[in-house]
Amino acid sequence: MSTQEELEREGAVALQTADAWVTIVWNDPVNLMSYVTHVFQTYFGFSRHEAEARMREVHEHGRSVVSTGGREKMEVDVQAMHGFGLWATLQRSGE
Amino acid sequence: MKGFVARDGQAVAELDDEERMVIARIVADVGLLLGGEQFGMDAPVDRDAGLDDADEILRHLRGLEEALAEPDDPAVLRLLPSASREDREIADEFRRLTEGDLRDLKVERLRQMWEQLSEDGPEWEVASGDAMSTAAALTDIRLVLGSRLRLFSDEDAERLHTEIELAAHALDTDAEQALGLDPERVWLGMLYQALTWLQESLVQYAITADDPAAGDDHE
Repeated sequence: MSTQEELEREGAVALQTADAWVTIVWNDPVNLMSYVTHVFQTYFGFSRHEAEARMREVHEHGRSVVSTGGREKMEVDVQAMHGFGLWATLQRSGE
Repeated sequence: MKGFVARDGQAVAELDDEERMVIARIVADVGLLLGGEQFGMDAPVDRDAGLDDADEILRHLRGLEEALAEPDDPAVLRLLPSASREDREIADEFRRLTEGDLRDLKVERLRQMWEQLSEDGPEWEVASGDAMSTAAALTDIRLVLGSRLRLFSDEDAERLHTEIELAAHALDTDAEQALGLDPERVWLGMLYQALTWLQESLVQYAITADDPAAGDDHE
């Protein structure tokens, strides 16, 4: 049995999950590591350390989630990445 | 060729006349590649002149389809990639919303670069605030060259590097024919590497300009 409060909390979490999207940046053989790091740092506001960690994840594991949020926000981020010449995609969180 | 260094508050590289001409030419080619695919290209003429209105609608529809479809040229697809690997609806929606703006942004950056390269003198001057947009335009050019050079993986890029080193050595010793090298591939590969090197120097400039402490290597 759940209390009304618990049900409301679960509902809120479900809503949040349904609305959660992610931006993924994929590895490519052309982009420079220094450039990708600096793009992550200047566009997403990551610290240099965090930007380097994401860049290395892209380079070594083929992809990295660089932002999360609503679909429209992710479309803005993907467009910005494409503007920089990085290959980015968006998808629902958890897919 | 001298890579970008900081001088008088801007980034300055030095290229000789031939280097400027070659780079300006590839800049213009990539601009053409992006513009040539533009929405509103002439649709094939329909000879049935009695159906003007239907013609008009069909033309619009065809234009819409062309705008939505993924670009046929793999090099253009590298500049304007799909926003989803699996979901066609997401990819099409994104393309409809953003492709025009992305093309305009990329063509405008290339035009600016072309104008800088068309000025007299060996210096290529990039304002501090334009360093990253210029680096982005260099990425676009390298993506097109990378596609033409069939660089699909990190291993392909490493192999190209080895090939060019071999070719440079072969040229020194007049042995290029014995190695069976494709001169066009070698030429494109050398251009690709020169642009990679230029871009790296410009990114290093941008990193230092944006955060003078970055070179100190502490958080």
